[in-house]
Amino acid sequence: MNRKKRIVITGMGTKNAIGGNVSEFARSLEEGVCGISQIDLFDTSEFRTHKGGQVKDFDPRRSIPEEFSRKRMSRADALSMAAALEALNDAGLYPLPENIKENMGVAIGGGAGGLLEAESFYAEMLKKGKERSKYSRLSSLFCASSSDRIAASLELLGPKATFMTACSAGATALGYARDLIMGGHADLMIAGGVEPMCRLTYAAFNALKSVDEDVCRPFDRNRSGLSLGEASAILVLEPLQAAQNRGAKIYGELMGYGVTCDSFHMTAPDDKASGAARSMRAALADSGLTVEDIDYINAHGTATPVNDQTETRAIKEVFGSRAYRIPVSSTKSMHAHTLGASGALEGIVSLLALAKRFVPPTIHWRERDPECDLDYVTEGARSMGLRAVLSNSFAFGGNNTTVVFGRYEGQGAVHE
Amino acid sequence: MKGRAPSMSKHHDLPGNQRVVVTGVGMVTPLGTGREEFSRRLFGGEGAIDVVRAFDTDASASRLGAEVRGFQPREFISAKNLRRMDRMSMITTASARLALSDAGIAVTAENRDRMGILFGSAFGATDVTVQFEDTLFAQGPGAVNPILVPNTVMNAPAGHASIELGFRGVNVTVTHFAVSAETAVAYAVSEIRRGTADVLLAGGADILSKFYHEALSKFRGLSPDDGEPEGARPFDKRRNGYVAGEGCGLLCLESLSCARKRGANIYCEISGAGLGSSPVPPTAWPRDPEGFRRTFLKALGQARIDLPGVSAVMAAANGSRVLDAVEADVYEELFASCADRPWVTSIKGAIGESFSGGGIRACALALSVEKGGLPPTVGLERPVAPLNFVTGKKVETNLRHTVLSGISFGGTYVCLVFSRCAK
Repeated sequence: MNRKKRIVITGMGTKNAIGGNVSEFARSLEEGVCGISQIDLFDTSEFRTHKGGQVKDFDPRRSIPEEFSRKRMSRADALSMAAALEALNDAGLYPLPENIKENMGVAIGGGAGGLLEAESFYAEMLKKGKERSKYSRLSSLFCASSSDRIAASLELLGPKATFMTACSAGATALGYARDLIMGGHADLMIAGGVEPMCRLTYAAFNALKSVDEDVCRPFDRNRSGLSLGEASAILVLEPLQAAQNRGAKIYGELMGYGVTCDSFHMTAPDDKASGAARSMRAALADSGLTVEDIDYINAHGTATPVNDQTETRAIKEVFGSRAYRIPVSSTKSMHAHTLGASGALEGIVSLLALAKRFVPPTIHWRERDPECDLDYVTEGARSMGLRAVLSNSFAFGGNNTTVVFGRYEGQGAVHE
Repeated sequence: MKGRAPSMSKHHDLPGNQRVVVTGVGMVTPLGTGREEFSRRLFGGEGAIDVVRAFDTDASASRLGAEVRGFQPREFISAKNLRRMDRMSMITTASARLALSDAGIAVTAENRDRMGILFGSAFGATDVTVQFEDTLFAQGPGAVNPILVPNTVMNAPAGHASIELGFRGVNVTVTHFAVSAETAVAYAVSEIRRGTADVLLAGGADILSKFYHEALSKFRGLSPDDGEPEGARPFDKRRNGYVAGEGCGLLCLESLSCARKRGANIYCEISGAGLGSSPVPPTAWPRDPEGFRRTFLKALGQARIDLPGVSAVMAAANGSRVLDAVEADVYEELFASCADRPWVTSIKGAIGESFSGGGIRACALALSVEKGGLPPTVGLERPVAPLNFVTGKKVETNLRHTVLSGISFGGTYVCLVFSRCAK
């Protein structure tokens, strides 16, 4: 696979429950900070659960400069725009040089889009009637709105796409962005994911009884479900050569990704763990790496009884005896499950782990599950140099995506 | 075409070099279900636009729609899986089954991990989402039906199709308004080229629902936006908005080598893709032709053909004042110096605008290239520009390189080159 153009990450931005930006996020990951608490984005009094990983104190007016129109922006649009601007600043590309706009595009993994605002509209419409309702409030309802807003605000002329594979969408967006650059469709991509909290999502996971009333406890024997979260996570991808030519700092390399389907059940993972195992194998094959090269697995680790058991089984199937020697952690224990954003958010986690030489912990773990017997890094963050990180994202609908990130050494490498 | 280099941009390494061909089409559309019926009615110049029957349109400014009627899901889907599906999942799963069957492919334990779907939808199952929110607001979170939950997510149709048909490879759902299906096809082509799958279904679906129709009407996109007679008239001087449609269209794509090995019927090759944008305000159609023009040329560049090589264009025009004018301008300018100007047709006068209709349009174009004929632009009588429009009835003509044009509000463009493939 030497022919392949190497694609690196040169900028990152995020808003999530444990970080208002990437450096705060990195500190929280190392310290094992929990961002799961009572939410106040909407009234939860009628719901069974009340906690979540909400982005606190987010004010679009502070995060998005006045030169960009904020009119009718949804929370998702604003969260992703703020993260995109942070990522571009981080990459040394803001303000954007004119000559790169033509071949620069946006790929975003979406989730609920502008549903939070649409729900307010809908509740009002039920009360006031259709004639008196302002349908223009729905203009940012759909997920493609976020990439449209980012691309239009920055005057980008390259490709746009929005991924809707639920909890693997953010990861797929990263892989697709890499392919667009490799395939000559773009020179530079803004890629990631965004997921806002909303009533529908909250009600849906409650109806499925897959939410823990307290904090989620990935891989713990008494785990009883996930914690819902929200986030935006945006990365800047470009060819290694271009990054070196402009003297950019480089977090790491997107080595490869794999996409598979369970073809089993809409909400339960494949009982033989085949879909998850094939996804990891496909990502390794695409990366040109073997299990021996992977030093950390950033697990999907939702803390639902069935996911953690199935994922553990899949890791053992793919990694064999090495499964017991690789740290595996679920950072969802800190930032909660951010659904459409999670693949991209955990991509940032993986790249921070590579660049800052540490493995983030699984917090809230208390008791060993005989079915989950790997090294889940439950004692706190671990300092260690990593060569490559594998990050899993598995979704309802049976959509699995695994992304592999590699350490970059050389000119521009971010090392701490 | 024989011995032609794989279509890839000169100065970039593509991850793979497989040539990608269309070997099957499957669809559930307002013009019928399956290749036979769809093809007969499409090339027969029929239109499927009528007064909407499935719901009342009292709160919309328009009464028309292009509905899928007479569709019998039980002919395509097992009872066990059917009860978990919403309507969009049903038409998608049926289309997937039809496309595989048209391609002569059976999913087996040996091939299922190398088969998958790239699915596009502009708006997803708005009917399910509205039903869910209605329950949530009227009866509270305790009353919502868990079986509805997965269907509120846009990846449900591709998930259901994979469960019903058994393919376990690449499975991705993508959305980008009016270029959702074109984006899915472009991604599928890229996946086959880089060798991650042997067979991929690619296209998209959207469905009509009461809330959706009303919302489109409130956004003033639907015909009539001016008090004149309602109707879909792509590229016509009297056009006054589009008519909302629904349906699903999926191509069966595979590598040329794979198709040749099994002696498959090849409709055409997808020899290039162009992807681009231009900055426009949210939900507005682009008024500046430059973004579309550049993307159209990018697609030709990828396919390594020049403007005189284009025999026909399957246009995006849907009857919108802005969209159709901009698109016609681009063709007029681009092909001004060509001795033989390409045929231009839009089937949205027949099937309406379903936003992910790129899937159905892709099937129509694959059939056109194979048959050597083009369906007419239903509703077009007084052309907005002196282009070589197909009007009235189909034309029979050999097609070598053709372009499927995708243009979305919000300023997103995807153009795909469908080329005739030597037998």
